[in-house]
Amino acid sequence: MDTPHYVAARVQQALAEDGRTNELGIRVDVRGDQLFLRGQVTGDDQRHLLTEVAQEAAPGLTVHNEVTCVEVRDPGEEEQL
Amino acid sequence: MSIRVAAVADIHLGEAQRGSYRPHLEGIEERADVLLVGGDLTRHGTLDEGKIVAEEFRGLPVPVVFVLGNHDYHSDVEEEIIAVLREAGGIVLDDTAETLLGGRLGVAGGKGFGGGFAGKSASEFGEPETKAFVRHTREIADRWRVALKSLDTEYRMVLSHYSPVKETLHGEPPEIYPFLGSYLLAEAVDAEGADLIVHGHAHAGTEKGMTPGGIRVRNVALPVLRRAYATYCLGSEEC
Ligand SMILES: [Fe+2]
Ligand SMILES: [Fe+2]
Repeated sequence: MDTPHYVAARVQQALAEDGRTNELGIRVDVRGDQLFLRGQVTGDDQRHLLTEVAQEAAPGLTVHNEVTCVEVRDPGEEEQL
Repeated sequence: MSIRVAAVADIHLGEAQRGSYRPHLEGIEERADVLLVGGDLTRHGTLDEGKIVAEEFRGLPVPVVFVLGNHDYHSDVEEEIIAVLREAGGIVLDDTAETLLGGRLGVAGGKGFGGGFAGKSASEFGEPETKAFVRHTREIADRWRVALKSLDTEYRMVLSHYSPVKETLHGEPPEIYPFLGSYLLAEAVDAEGADLIVHGHAHAGTEKGMTPGGIRVRNVALPVLRRAYATYCLGSEEC
């Protein structure tokens, strides 16, 4: 069995380099046979692709996608510099 | 007279986000005199994504200034992306400077690059790959000095993708700081002077920081702001 440390590294590289995702800031943790994804993306479609790519890079692990989608609020207050 | 600058970065638009950002720009002319967009406009850097971005900003009532980010370079069509942004009326800085608002505001900049921060940075030493990495940042910083020198405006700003300082990276793992920015960028701007530096790239970073020379730095990455754009008022009077 692969060391969890290297599995996590492999999944993180896949999320960055796979043409479907190219997502660099995702945190990947492996605990036993569970794999956790955390971070933020700009679209819901991207969230689902992360699960897909992570699952392919770590077959046999259960992927928990805890990534959230950035919500874009109104511009709000200006800052005086 | 003061001026109001709106800024955002890392909008990362793909096919599924076509038309989704534009509604947030509604009424921007009430809030700002200019909009700066600090790179990572796309996800994969394809020309199709570049066109989506260009349409999103086409015909806004305020001037829009872009730089590209690392994602916009990924498909090796950065020149084509720059061309479609310009065709849609955008100004694109590529280690260059532009004068706006009838000569009142000068903006210099480009994507920037990494290397790390003073005392903990890479040096132009050893293997050719290492030297090339550091030299790329050094050459960019040199071009920014030239670009800033060319500006003779009331206010001067720098627009970058990579960060010039560590402070706005707070929240990112320190191990990756060398890939998030370089002090060489701050050193160049401190030498020439500017009123504000805005950048993106560090999605998990912090909005506010300052260069060693006292120039304000703002990380305007969309995931940091969590709002459509930030607005900064430059000048002594309130905006
Ligand atoms: Fe980004
Ligand atoms: Fe980036």
